[in-house]
Amino acid sequence: MIALKYPDILLDSLENGHMIIDDKFIVSYWNRWLSINTQIPKGEIIGKSLKEFYPEINYKVFYRKIRTALVIGTPTFYDTNSSTKFISMNRNKVTTSSLKLMQQQVTISPYILHENKVMVSIYDISELFEAKLLIKKEIVKVSRLNDKLEAEKEIIDKNIMMVKTSFDGIIIDVSTLFCQFFEFEKDFLLGKNISIFKSPDIPEATYKELWWSVKNKKSWSGELKNKTSSGVEKWVQTRVTPIMDENGELSEFSAVYHDITNEKLLAQLYITDPLTKLYNRARFDEVINFIVKHQRKADTDFILVIADVDYFKSINDTYGHQVGDEALVSVANSLKNSLREDDLVARWGGEEFVIMLKNVTLDEAKMIMEKVRESVQKIKINDTISITASFGLTKYIIGEDTKKTFKRVDDALYEAKNSGRNRVVIK
Amino acid sequence: MKILVVDDSKIGRMSVIKSLEVIKPDAEIFQAVNGLEALELFRQERPDAVFLDLTMPVMDGYEALKRIMEVDKNAQVIIISADIQNEAKLRVLAAGAKNMYPKPINDENMVQIFEQDLSL
Amino acid sequence: MNLEFNEDQIDTLKEFINISMGAATASLANLLDAFGTMHIPKIDICNSNELAQKIESTIDLKSMYYATKQLFTGRFGGECMFIISEDSAKNLGRHLYNVTTPSRDDINDAVIELTNILTSTIVSRLTQELNTQVQFFVPSSQFIDANSIVHCEDVSDYSKIIIISTILDFKDQKINGNIYILTKDEAIESLRVLIDKRIEEIYG
Repeated sequence: MIALKYPDILLDSLENGHMIIDDKFIVSYWNRWLSINTQIPKGEIIGKSLKEFYPEINYKVFYRKIRTALVIGTPTFYDTNSSTKFISMNRNKVTTSSLKLMQQQVTISPYILHENKVMVSIYDISELFEAKLLIKKEIVKVSRLNDKLEAEKEIIDKNIMMVKTSFDGIIIDVSTLFCQFFEFEKDFLLGKNISIFKSPDIPEATYKELWWSVKNKKSWSGELKNKTSSGVEKWVQTRVTPIMDENGELSEFSAVYHDITNEKLLAQLYITDPLTKLYNRARFDEVINFIVKHQRKADTDFILVIADVDYFKSINDTYGHQVGDEALVSVANSLKNSLREDDLVARWGGEEFVIMLKNVTLDEAKMIMEKVRESVQKIKINDTISITASFGLTKYIIGEDTKKTFKRVDDALYEAKNSGRNRVVIK
Repeated sequence: MKILVVDDSKIGRMSVIKSLEVIKPDAEIFQAVNGLEALELFRQERPDAVFLDLTMPVMDGYEALKRIMEVDKNAQVIIISADIQNEAKLRVLAAGAKNMYPKPINDENMVQIFEQDLSL
Repeated sequence: MNLEFNEDQIDTLKEFINISMGAATASLANLLDAFGTMHIPKIDICNSNELAQKIESTIDLKSMYYATKQLFTGRFGGECMFIISEDSAKNLGRHLYNVTTPSRDDINDAVIELTNILTSTIVSRLTQELNTQVQFFVPSSQFIDANSIVHCEDVSDYSKIIIISTILDFKDQKINGNIYILTKDEAIESLRVLIDKRIEEIYG
C-alpha cells in the first residue's frame, strides 16, 4: 500500500467536516472545514474534550454510537432528518432559505480500534433537506387538491348524468346518476356501444348530424329521446363534447344529459287537443302564422283544407255526447292515417278540422281529400252509425293575409255543405 | 461410540460430522433435524455425546436439552449455535450442557470438546 | 443468469444468515443489555413484483410502522429493510435512551441505529466470507402505515430478488421487527459462489 504523503492537505481540502475523537471525547484531529464553520481553530480544540466546546451534545448517545462503531467495525450514523443538530452551525445562505441552521449528516467511522478512536464526519445536507421539505410541502398540497377533486367528482357523479365513450362510441364511463336514471347497472353499460340508446322516434338525420359534428371536433347540443331499461321513454337535453388527445386527435366523447321529459310532456299537452290527440287550434295558428310571417319558399306552397262532420249536431242529439265524441275521434284518426307525415292536421273547434297539405297542386289535393272523404264514409260508430264529412280546399297565395285564405276555404266548405254534403269543393 | 448430531440445517449437521470424522473416525453417527426427533433418538440409542443446535422448528434446543437431561442427568450435550450471546451460554450451561460453541465449528473446537468438555 | 437455488444452496444460505443474525443479535443484546431470542430465517427467491405481497404477509396491515432502509454497495450490494411496529419502536427508544416517553426524534434515531447494527453485522459477516468490501449508506427511516410500506416499494427494475427475512425478538423488552435483505443480479451470483464454495468445503 502507498502511504499518502500529505493526508492533512487532503482532509483540509474536503468540503465537509472531519474530526478524530476517542471514546472520552478528546479531539485529536480537526480539519479546516470544521475550523471555518465552527469558528474554533484547530489549535484551540486539539487535545481537549469536545464537551468543553459543545456541552449541549447528548454524550450518552454519542458514546454509544462511538462504541458501536468500534465494536462492529462499521460506521454508525445519526438520523439525518433529526431536528436536533449534532453541532449547531449557522448557514450563510442569504436568499430564500427555510433553514437557519445547517442540516447535517453525521457518520462515525472506526479509526484506530485499539485506541478507541473514531472519525466523525459531518456533511452539509441542507440543500438536499430543503428540497425534501419542499417536496413534502408540495405533496401535501397535491393530496389536498386531490381530496377536493375527489369530493367534486363525487358530487358530479351523483348529480349529473354523464357518459364517456371512446371515439368509436364504446362506453368507457358512466355517472351514477345516469345509471340510476336509465335503470342500468354500470357494469352492464361499460363496453357497450352508445347506440343501444338510439330511439326509432328520433330521425336518423339527427343522429347523422350529431356524429358529423363531433367527428369534426365540434360539440353538439340537442334533444334526444331514450328508453330506460324498463322501457319508459325519456327526453334528454344532450350535449356531446369531443375530447382530443395531446396530439389534437379525437380520442373520446363526453356527453352530458339533462332530463326534460316533464317539460316535453307539458309542451305536448299545451299544443294537443285532449279528445282527438291532434294538434289544437293554437298550435295550428302558431305554425301558419310563422309561415306567413317568414314567407319561406319551401313553406308557403300549401293547400288549406277545412273539414266539417256532416249533421254532427243531430248525431249528438240522437245518440248522446259520447257517440259524438267517438265520431270526432274516428274522423281524426281517419284524417291522420290518410295523410303524409309532413301534413299538418289540427282540430279547429267543434266538429271542424283544419289541414295543411304541403307541396301539392290543388288538383292533387282534391284527389287526396276525395280519398279521405271516402275513408270517413266507411266509418261505422258502434257498428251501425255512419258518418260523412264535407271538405273545402284552397291554395295559399304567396304573400296574402291568411284571413283571405280562410275566407276562400270557408266559402268552399259552405258550397260543399249547400250542394248536398259529403263532398270536396275547391276555391 | 455413538454420537447424535441435531440441527435443522443440513450444512450445520454436515460441518459437525466433517470434524467428527477427522477427530473420531470410528464413531457411529445419528442425525436428527429437530428437538423432538433428537429426544426419540436419544431414548432409543443412548448416544455417548449429543451435538445440539438451539434454533430449530418443532422443538428448539433449549427444550430438547431440558428433556434429554430429564431422561439422563449424565447426558453429554454440547451446544453448537449461531447465538453468541453470553446469556445464551449461561442458560444452556445452567441447564446441564457441557459447553457451547459458536457456529461454524472447526477441528480445533472439536479436539477441545473431546479433550476438555466431555467426560466419556 | 441462473437464479434458481437448489435445496442444499438454500439450506446453506439460511445457515449463513443464521450465523450473521447471531452476531447481530449479540451486538444488540450488548447494546440493549438484554437477551434476544433467535428465529429461523426465511429465504424467498421471487420476482420483484411479489415483494409487496411478501411483506404484506408478515405485518399487521392496520398498524403504523417505522420502515428503515439502508443501502450497501459493492460486489455484494443491495438493500436492508427493517420494519418495526410503532409500539416496538417506542420500547426500543425507551431502552436505548433510558426515558419513559421518547420523542419522535429519539425513536427515529434508535430505529436507525438498530437498522445500522443489523445491516452492518449481517452484511459484514457475509462480505467477509465473500472476501469483498461494501460501503454502507446512512439509513433513512419513515413513519408510515402498513399499506404505504407496501406501496412505496417500487422495485420494478429488479428482475429476481432474494428476500432474506428474519425476526428480531427481545421478548422482555417487547421489541420485535422484521428484517429483509434484498439483493439482485450480480449480488445473487456472488452469493451463489460463496454458497457453493462452502458446500464444497463441507461435503467435499
